[in-house]
Amino acid sequence: MTSVHADIDALKGLREALVRYRHAQREVASRGEEEIKVVRASLEAKASRWRAQLEQCQAEFGACQERAAQAAAGSAADGPVAGDDPVDCSGYAQAVEQCGERLEQIRRWQQRIDAESSEFQGTASRFGDLLENDLPRTEEHLLALIRSLEAARRVQAPGA
Amino acid sequence: MVTRPDRDGDQQLRLLDDAWDKASQHWHDGMTRQFDTDHLTPLLRESRGYLEALRKLMDMLDAAERDTEG
Repeated sequence: MTSVHADIDALKGLREALVRYRHAQREVASRGEEEIKVVRASLEAKASRWRAQLEQCQAEFGACQERAAQAAAGSAADGPVAGDDPVDCSGYAQAVEQCGERLEQIRRWQQRIDAESSEFQGTASRFGDLLENDLPRTEEHLLALIRSLEAARRVQAPGA
Repeated sequence: MVTRPDRDGDQQLRLLDDAWDKASQHWHDGMTRQFDTDHLTPLLRESRGYLEALRKLMDMLDAAERDTEG
């Protein structure tokens, strides 16, 4: 660009770039917020599934313990019966423990995300303010500069 | 493939940087430095701060999803 108006063209190009930047970053910020909501909902759905799974495992473990208690009571009254294995509930107990651990793991992530998101909101709010208020003012400032340069050139032109 | 918002934001920041480089090649009167100091530098600094915070949060969300799969 070698024209005498190269500076004006450069300013116009910069202003257009700032307008595009404002729109694009607004979209970025909106997608960021949406992503937080999606992952929070996903974790809540997982937690809900594991809570239901934990309840089922606890019920199965409880039923097993009841069978074991009945078997123990029967053995005490009638003496051991050949071929009867003792009721083993260790698998159910392990399942309860695993479900509890998965649920706890999800709960820890939920807490971390809540804390980090809350901290992030301050930065996001400042950036949103910059996009909505500061940047339009900057664009206006550039437009004023462009107009004043154009006006000055028009004044100079006849005698140039 | 959908890209992460923080990466798109970084790309937009690079485009604005390029636009400023291009503009400042042709615009160098007394107002240039003032515009840089009063408007562009604060804008870029605030944008970088936001995008860095967004990147960290997106990393955490990805890790949470991976760690709780299955």
